[in-house]
Amino acid sequence: MDKNHRIDLEMFEGPLDLLLFLIKQDELNIYDIPIAQITKKFLTYVLLAKELKLQSAGDFVLMAATLMKIKARMLLPIEAEGDDEIEDPRTELMNMLLEYKRYKEATANFAELERHERPYYYHIPINWTPQQEDQTAILEDVKLYDIMLTFQYLIKNFEEPATHSVAVEEVTLSEQVGYLNGLLQAKAKLSFSTLLEQFNSRLIVVVTFLAILEMLRNRQVKVKQTKLFDDLLISRGNQFGN
Amino acid sequence: MEINELKQIVEALLIATPEPLTDARFQACLGEGEIQLPLTEIIAELQADYINSDRSFFIKEVAGGFQIVTRAEYEHYIKGLFSKSGKLRLSQAALETLAIVCYRQPVTRNDIESIRGVSSDSSLRTLLDRKLLEIRGRDEGPGRALLYRTSAEFLQYFGLNSVNDLPKLREVEDILVEEQDDLV
Repeated sequence: MDKNHRIDLEMFEGPLDLLLFLIKQDELNIYDIPIAQITKKFLTYVLLAKELKLQSAGDFVLMAATLMKIKARMLLPIEAEGDDEIEDPRTELMNMLLEYKRYKEATANFAELERHERPYYYHIPINWTPQQEDQTAILEDVKLYDIMLTFQYLIKNFEEPATHSVAVEEVTLSEQVGYLNGLLQAKAKLSFSTLLEQFNSRLIVVVTFLAILEMLRNRQVKVKQTKLFDDLLISRGNQFGN
Repeated sequence: MEINELKQIVEALLIATPEPLTDARFQACLGEGEIQLPLTEIIAELQADYINSDRSFFIKEVAGGFQIVTRAEYEHYIKGLFSKSGKLRLSQAALETLAIVCYRQPVTRNDIESIRGVSSDSSLRTLLDRKLLEIRGRDEGPGRALLYRTSAEFLQYFGLNSVNDLPKLREVEDILVEEQDDLV
């Protein structure tokens, strides 16, 4: 094994990145990739990697399988049917490599921009949110992701007890929608966390949360939040009561 | 209204604004009946003042508006204000993911992963946490996958006025030609 192989797989962002590197290193023609040669090299790198993160390991193994499949198909005799042109089994791989290369080039540009912008500090920095007393004043436009994070955060308080008796709890989405409708008829604003205080099981909390999402989708309610992980404030939407 | 008074108003707005100050927002702040002068003209005058009086900051056009930014030579001192040594840098994986979202938006996680050839879950999470990406609706197709877009913070982070400022992606054909040339 020559020492050129002693390159850590961690250096590469994935199997496509490694393949592009091998093509460049051996000055191969991307339009006519010698599959046998590159498969052998690719496998050498993957097998030499002392430890692969489990997540990326799967991606590398999948590519190894793809390469071997292409190699096998190229060995098979080709029977042309009529005038149909037989597609080169390597075409899809080539397209993937080229497409990836376009974005890899753009990535270098972003890294350069990031480096360039590094010394500048904004008077109001990224992610700055004003601290305000009026809880409803800002962030009218709560993003779905924020709501999900808040839910994850709030539901932590609802760990199920280690032992519990099994009782059939029946709670449905439409029940909770009706329940919230009733509450909102009486009160203009509801706090999600206060709402949760009266529930004693995760199931009801989850169904209630789903009910809020459902009502949000139908514009029956509006959800506001002052900052991430803060309480969700629920109020009537323009389709309320419909 | 005197230009000097307008300059002071714009300066005050720039100090207080929670996001890049746009012309539309500026005109709304002025209210009706005030002399209408484009924000860019007043900004140009202010900017000249700052340069002439050798201030430690300047006005930068970013994310479709204007913001006050410190000059690069003060980075060394400003870093001391933050517990971590200055700004965190994005990983190569995060940058790749960002590049794909930026040029293909709106885009699903599956689109990103099929281009990168690797799972991009953690990169996406990092970028969402740092607000550089946001979720904007769902795909119409089966599974109704979430669609990702770049945010205003993304533009600010990379010092861009709009995504259209970025150079176009190279065409696949150009890359092929170059690859062939390299072999000769």
